[in-house]
Amino acid sequence: MLFVDLCIQGVIQGAIYALIALGLTLVYGLLRILHVAHAALFTLGGYVGVLVTNGSGSFLLALMTAMLVVGVVGMSSYTIIYKPLLNRTPLIALIASIGIFIASEELFRIFFGAYGLSYVSPPLQVQIEILPGISLSQARILVVILAVGLLSGVGWLAINTRMGIAARATVVDPQIAASSGVNVEIIRYGSFFIGSAFAGAAGVMVSLLNNLVEPTMGAVPSYKALAIIVLGGLGSVRGALIASLALGIIESFGTIYVGHLLDRDSIAFAFLIMVLMVRPQGLLVRG
Amino acid sequence: MTYEIVVLTNMAIAVLFALSLNVITGFCGQVSLGHAAFLGIGAYTSAMLSKAGVPIVITFIPAMGMAALIGLIVGVASLRVRHDFLAITTMGVVFLFTGIVRKQELLGGEIGIAGIPAPDFGRIGLLMTSLLCVLAYLLFTIWIRRSWTGFAFDSISEDEDTATLLGINVPKFKLFAFIVGTAGAGLAGALYAHQVRFIGPDSFGFVESISVLAMVIVGGIGSIWGVILSAAFLSALPQFFQVIDDYKLLVYGLLLFGAMRFAPDGIDGLLRKVSRWRAVK
Amino acid sequence: MTTKRLQIKNVSVKFGGLSALQDVSFEIDDNQLLGFIGPNGAGKTTLMRVIMGMITPLSGSVFLDGKNITGLKSVQRIHAGVALGQQIVKPLRQMSLLDNVALASGGAKLLSPLRALMVRERSEEREVAQELLIQVGLGDHAQKLPNELPLGFLKRLEVARALALNPLLLLLDEPLAGLSKPEAEQMADLIASLPRKGLSVIMIEHNLPQVQRVCPTLYVQSNGRALAFGATNKVIAEPEVRRAYLGVDA
Ligand SMILES: Nc1ncnc2c1ncn2[C@@H]1O[C@H](COP(=O)(O)OP(=O)(O)O)[C@@H](O)[C@H]1O
Ligand SMILES: [Mg+2]
Repeated sequence: MLFVDLCIQGVIQGAIYALIALGLTLVYGLLRILHVAHAALFTLGGYVGVLVTNGSGSFLLALMTAMLVVGVVGMSSYTIIYKPLLNRTPLIALIASIGIFIASEELFRIFFGAYGLSYVSPPLQVQIEILPGISLSQARILVVILAVGLLSGVGWLAINTRMGIAARATVVDPQIAASSGVNVEIIRYGSFFIGSAFAGAAGVMVSLLNNLVEPTMGAVPSYKALAIIVLGGLGSVRGALIASLALGIIESFGTIYVGHLLDRDSIAFAFLIMVLMVRPQGLLVRG
Repeated sequence: MTYEIVVLTNMAIAVLFALSLNVITGFCGQVSLGHAAFLGIGAYTSAMLSKAGVPIVITFIPAMGMAALIGLIVGVASLRVRHDFLAITTMGVVFLFTGIVRKQELLGGEIGIAGIPAPDFGRIGLLMTSLLCVLAYLLFTIWIRRSWTGFAFDSISEDEDTATLLGINVPKFKLFAFIVGTAGAGLAGALYAHQVRFIGPDSFGFVESISVLAMVIVGGIGSIWGVILSAAFLSALPQFFQVIDDYKLLVYGLLLFGAMRFAPDGIDGLLRKVSRWRAVK
Repeated sequence: MTTKRLQIKNVSVKFGGLSALQDVSFEIDDNQLLGFIGPNGAGKTTLMRVIMGMITPLSGSVFLDGKNITGLKSVQRIHAGVALGQQIVKPLRQMSLLDNVALASGGAKLLSPLRALMVRERSEEREVAQELLIQVGLGDHAQKLPNELPLGFLKRLEVARALALNPLLLLLDEPLAGLSKPEAEQMADLIASLPRKGLSVIMIEHNLPQVQRVCPTLYVQSNGRALAFGATNKVIAEPEVRRAYLGVDA
């Protein structure tokens, strides 16, 4: 029973990681930049989710608003942070990104207070028995549905639309893509929008699971998401998704079995370092 | 007076810490997002020993040794990964460090180690000791820079494959950089432990690692004088911001962003630009 | 039997499913200039990288002066006497041409950071470097940064830097590519002047007229297989070579 329970917890956590990691992978694939400020977008999603739900009473409206708002803010992060630094060494963009992330944590604190916000009446709390003896709240189930739905949607777009094919070509070789008529800028904005919107959705779901959104909510998941995209082979979307799931499950077992040696958050990095020692290019090579 | 001494000591420790990362990242081109772990290893080693009655200055040696030993291990592991993989691996190191320390009763766990003995040579003595350490380390790194080791570092930091084709044993040089850099961080940690006299896992985390990397980058990667200036400035910054304490991190974050966005070559680049501009006039 | 400068025995390399080299063997004496030709994708660069230890072959071995160097790392092979001028120039752009070459002539210092730490003097190496730069016709540009110079000059820098390693065997990967006709001619003359007792040169080239002009012997490879080896005129005349390389029906 414990085994099944840990697996389920792992899958839910993995689904959240996957939603966050997608945007990081896309940005890395297109720009070769570690987009730390992505974490702030995740947190922003949480705030929008709580505020809109409390204001309007509709969680669905909140989720959609959050994805839209965060997607647009994400696009502007490309304009403001990265675009001017593209021909610098990626380290410069990394530090700039970290600067924005630190500053935005402070902005959240200044605007919304240090102790965070909660849902007045948290939606989707009904427990559903999914297996004999195992019940999950609707919110937890929604996390997995949302992740599977959104990610397969993107997968479909990437394979079946002109934009998607162009985007994949741009990841493989931006110069060739550009010279064969792909508008690289549009691809970048599109990827920032989708990746950020997904992170926003993850933020809403995490804020609902914890019934709390606080300024520092983005830090730990985003560091782990960095670990995930590296594990996945940097720029490989499939690798990142596999790594998300693997990490979710490993953490959920690790907390029980090695929790007395390592805290939950460093299990991810212990795993990361172990994998990189065996496969220095990550689990999958990009593609 | 005490206040000024504390500020100056903090500055000296920050400069030492930044100079040590400058050897790894600036000279040898190996990005580290986890350098605070080695500050922590030095601090914990020195604190434990001096609590056990070892004279403070003596604890500096095992503090450096322990940091360098673990630095060597991390260095060997890092040889397998490059660029962004390396950055994230080193980031992993700092999370592992705090994660392990948190769970170790022996190291004070979450709470940390309190009651670290005050140096018997007093606050001024500690400041002088810190300055001496900075000076010694500074001279050593200047020596490295001007030697053939520094010459080889120049090529490795630019392109390690080409460096190899020129006959440079790249792994050995990288490990040397890791050892010298982490030993320096260990020394800074030992000083730090006796300056604040209370240490916990939160003092050596990811944010501290980023702060020191920011000092190196704002100073101009590899430039010794730029790094000293920026470390002194950035470490003293929070003191200037006492008034706006609430917005300290906001300003700090925006400053990092602004420095990268508008002066990506750092202080070193600015100084060069100014001197070129003067020369033109 | 005298020992050969270089012997390659039954080397095979695969990239995934692609056979880049299949059972390739050949050898070269001291004081030779060997031309190495083959269509694009023939595995020429790959073979150079195998000799340098940058790629581990699936099977086969490499001997330098009769000594098996197959197990050595690149850096050890370089200090054993092999040097490579790469197809794509890789100057160190942060330092002058002089320092690019001087660094390469640092010898044993480059093997140990501790030994390197003891030495600050660079004048001897800079003198050597200056001479080499003069030899390749870059004497006037020693203090310049690579970015201030056109490709043709950087190709020569690549040669000077490889020579600074004081090799027994010099591998040059398309040293004439991208050069204008007079530049290529000059460079080919330079390369032809290099071989001496204690130095053999292998030159990969597509520029057949220059190869025919300066290389007495020729090795041809196609699709990862050795096709022909011998005196240049004979090899060029072989129908197989004409078919594979020149696209001419014999
Ligand atoms: N690192 C590599 N990974 C995969 N395939 C490679 C790699 N290097 C070369 N190849 C392939 O091996 C074949 C031989 O390449 P190469 O040695 O560069 O040929 P040449 O120098 O004769 O033009 C080509 O088909 C090339 O695409
Ligand atoms: Mg080639």
